[in-house]
Amino acid sequence: MHETSIALGILDIINDRCIAEGYHSIESVRLRIGRAAGIMPEALLFSFDVAKMETPAENAQLIIDSIPLGGMCSECNTEFEVEEAYVLSCPKCGSAAFKIQKGYEMEIVEMDVGDTERDILP
Amino acid sequence: MKVKVVTRILEANERLAEENRKRFKEAGVFVINLMGGPGAGKTSLLEKTILELKNRIRIGVIEGDIAGTDDAERIHTTGVPVVQINTGGACHLDANMISEVLPEMPLKDLDMIIVENVGNLVCPAEFKVGEDMKAMVLSIAEGHDKPLKYPLMFKESAVLVLNKVDLLPYVNVDMQKLKNDAISLNPGLKIFEVSCRTGEGLHRWTEWLNGLK
Repeated sequence: MHETSIALGILDIINDRCIAEGYHSIESVRLRIGRAAGIMPEALLFSFDVAKMETPAENAQLIIDSIPLGGMCSECNTEFEVEEAYVLSCPKCGSAAFKIQKGYEMEIVEMDVGDTERDILP
Repeated sequence: MKVKVVTRILEANERLAEENRKRFKEAGVFVINLMGGPGAGKTSLLEKTILELKNRIRIGVIEGDIAGTDDAERIHTTGVPVVQINTGGACHLDANMISEVLPEMPLKDLDMIIVENVGNLVCPAEFKVGEDMKAMVLSIAEGHDKPLKYPLMFKESAVLVLNKVDLLPYVNVDMQKLKNDAISLNPGLKIFEVSCRTGEGLHRWTEWLNGLK
């Protein structure tokens, strides 16, 4: 529901970085979004495409790597992944003694940038 | 050309939240981020809590709503300092909105600030505002399926207040399933059952809250 805030946050980070390091434009940006992070990828893509206008990222494509929720069971020592956005017990042995290891990510991994202005300018 | 970024998207908010937290800590103010869906009874719980505790704890309130000042006016009648934030469409409060209204809060004269977040079961759970604790209100009429449908808020909250228990005879809610699922998501979750309308269970909640300060 707050994908617009998330999109604006992403644009702040990548545009600042693009300008500070003298790149000309951003062609794509890759994110890692956990399935339990509460983000709808479609809504984020839509918000990003609206918010990127008239910024160095205006032609940037957003690539979202979706990370399933997963953890490690302390009872049966099995690593697991689930389809849902929550986990109540270890899918193998049913124990509630587990540690969540992934699925809450919300991070920018990398971006693909165009030529630097330093290269273009005399 | 690929450039490594490796930055948490909400890093800027988390940094601001930490600044707010420092200011609260310096002033000796305990801050609660109160969350829940629209109509769960967040403002009613606040009113009852303030009336019960205001002679023992100096409470201030920050009200977050998309629009309107109804909630701030309700809190104002209890006689405690209150500031209204209108998010103008945003579905949650963030750390920046809180830091902007802090000058209007008499921090030095307060023991506790309760931030009433925008009515929403999803987004407020993700944005820290500088709180010491997240609390959530769920009215039992919302149904026992809510923990598994909105797991993040149940996971993030330290305390769950189940409101409107006076409606139990009239709604099809499985209280045991509701509580079991909430505890499964968050084994340390403290649960109170109250009715802001009849006053049932409120004393246990306010005494617990009083003990935090």
